Amino acid sequence: MNFAKRAWLNLIAKKGRTALLILVTSAIMLFVMAGLLIKSAANQATENAKDSIGATLTLSANREAAFKKMRESAASSDGQPAKPSGKPSLSMSPVKLSTAEKIAQLTGVESYSVAVSTSANAKSFDAITTSSGQMTGPMGGKGGASTGDITVSGVSSTASNANFSDKTYVIKKGRGLTASDKNTNNVVIKSELATENDLKVGDTITIKNAAKTKTYKLKVVGIYKAKSTASTTMGGGMMGGGDPSNTIFTSYTFANTLKGTKYKDTADSVVFTVTTPSKVASVKKAATKLISSKFSLTADDQSYQMVRQSMSSVTSFADKIVWLVAIAGTIILALIVVLMIRERRFEIGILLSLGEKRAKVIAQFFVELFVILLVGVGIASAGGQFVGDKLAAQVVSSAQTTTSSTSQLGGMPGGQGGPGGTQGGSRTGAPSGMPGQASQQKAQAKQAKLATKVTFKSVAILFGLGLAIILIAILAGAGGILRLNPKRILIG
Amino acid sequence: MLKTENLTYWYNDRDQYLFKDVNLAFAAGHSYAIVGQSGSGKTTMVSLLAGLDTPKAGRILIDDQDIKKHGLTNYRQSQVAIVFQAYNLFTYMSALENLMTAMAITKAKHKGDKAYAKGMLTKLGLTDEQMTKNVQKLSGGQQQRVAIARTMVCDAPLVVADEPTGNLDEDNTTEVIALFNQIAHEAGKCVIIVTHEAAVAAQCDGVLRLAHRTFTWEKQPQPAVPA
Repeated sequence: MNFAKRAWLNLIAKKGRTALLILVTSAIMLFVMAGLLIKSAANQATENAKDSIGATLTLSANREAAFKKMRESAASSDGQPAKPSGKPSLSMSPVKLSTAEKIAQLTGVESYSVAVSTSANAKSFDAITTSSGQMTGPMGGKGGASTGDITVSGVSSTASNANFSDKTYVIKKGRGLTASDKNTNNVVIKSELATENDLKVGDTITIKNAAKTKTYKLKVVGIYKAKSTASTTMGGGMMGGGDPSNTIFTSYTFANTLKGTKYKDTADSVVFTVTTPSKVASVKKAATKLISSKFSLTADDQSYQMVRQSMSSVTSFADKIVWLVAIAGTIILALIVVLMIRERRFEIGILLSLGEKRAKVIAQFFVELFVILLVGVGIASAGGQFVGDKLAAQVVSSAQTTTSSTSQLGGMPGGQGGPGGTQGGSRTGAPSGMPGQASQQKAQAKQAKLATKVTFKSVAILFGLGLAIILIAILAGAGGILRLNPKRILIG
Repeated sequence: MLKTENLTYWYNDRDQYLFKDVNLAFAAGHSYAIVGQSGSGKTTMVSLLAGLDTPKAGRILIDDQDIKKHGLTNYRQSQVAIVFQAYNLFTYMSALENLMTAMAITKAKHKGDKAYAKGMLTKLGLTDEQMTKNVQKLSGGQQQRVAIARTMVCDAPLVVADEPTGNLDEDNTTEVIALFNQIAHEAGKCVIIVTHEAAVAAQCDGVLRLAHRTFTWEKQPQPAVPA
């Protein structure tokens, strides 16, 4: 082990060179460590996202199948209009709650919420009207049968409604609706509507159904407020009256009552919350077997996918850092070793003249770099977390920008869930308001929390990589040692 | 003890040989000087005898065994100790560490024996303080003494020196040559010194001159060694 002692003596005697080598090695190790930590943190974030970020499955009428049926029906009538009015009618079946309950029993389903949308007419109060509010079509809701000036959003509970869960709407006075409000005429109204009509929590209002054939008394239990005017416009779920202030929340049972007796124990859509995003596919597969082709199941694991996609780019970046720094580090260290061998050729010549084996000369250089590597790994372990955190914040921020712009280009997945009318509009994501936007916020919050942590494993990997780097560097420089002729060095 | 048989060497062109078919014999217990003009090939001869280079033809025998059979590395490790004009010490070590390192590499009998190494340095005139300070802080004469001490602590029976007094003043030169003779006569080693100084050669037991590619004995040690 004389070569080890020589290595140690050399390191101590040549303090300046040793310090320089430690500096270079530490810098290389620090960046490799940062890369490893970011990669590990990104993987961890993806794993955590699997457990913590919710995913949902929405059961609703299959619009595509309904359209297909409508076209077939039109064709079978030999070119004659299907309806006396001359307009083809889209008939979509409501979801039976018994089916929803069966799906809720499946493994992986955590909970479910029911949503029913319809419209009514204000009787004991005045609905708010806007000149631009009388839209037609999907948003305006005048796509089919008669509609009222009030949009009734029937829910299992207001908390399960996306607008409330993502805080687009907040309860200002009173309370929200809960499961205990099932089969009651309790209602939560918007603050603007309450102000205009001087309504308070505890007051009773009366409405008529869309056909104006029946009158219902409703008890105001809560007043909600939209976070911003913009969110009101976007997420109001306007059904009838056009102005989003006319949206009231009732239990889904009451909404069904308004729609008519044939809608009892049905829903426009049912949203199932799946325990982890990884189970979405299996739950969807099992649930599909329980429903007919009239219905469709739409998976929304947007948040998870967003985190996964973002973390994937972070991992890819971290991988590049590790490889680039490792390659550059190997080249730099190899050059240093080559230069060191040139500088120390005299010493090598003396060793060879004394009969030292070339392998032991190489071993001496290895031990020197090994000691430097130990210090470098130590410094990298101490400072890796700091550099990793800084670098991770930068990378995540960049990845978020990329993911966000990609999502927007992709058409706001999951967002814009406002229902377009009971009979005429889109039902997909009907009760949800803007789940897409909410999930994006959640996902971004998850990503922003990406934190690196130095672990024994990361230090071990770094040490292994460092060892490989110095081995390659030594082997690159060893050629010089093996070619050295002691006579030329010492006597030439 | 050391013999050359038809030793031949050239650099690039075999017709331009440095020396050819050289047959020499060196005995233990004697000091030899190889003299000649600069560029005559003295240093090449000493590098061949030291196992730092290989002959183009012929062979070198130590105790009647070809040094190639030893392997040049093993030969240098166990059979020969070399002293250079530029001392060639480990500059990042003290005099004592230099000796200890050489003893460890050559697997000398006294390997690891610090007291033995210190005793040798004391014998060669270094103080305790001098032997523990970095060799670069010693004078040229002191450094050469350390280099000679290094050859003495190793158990090699052959000591080869290339212009060992080249960087020394007259007093140090006399002292160093006296030390070499001491090694030869008292330790029973074979000492071969390459020099261009007549005064140095005059102190050796045998003098070999290289001129016109031919080695000739100017002075044979007594008793003469049969080639």
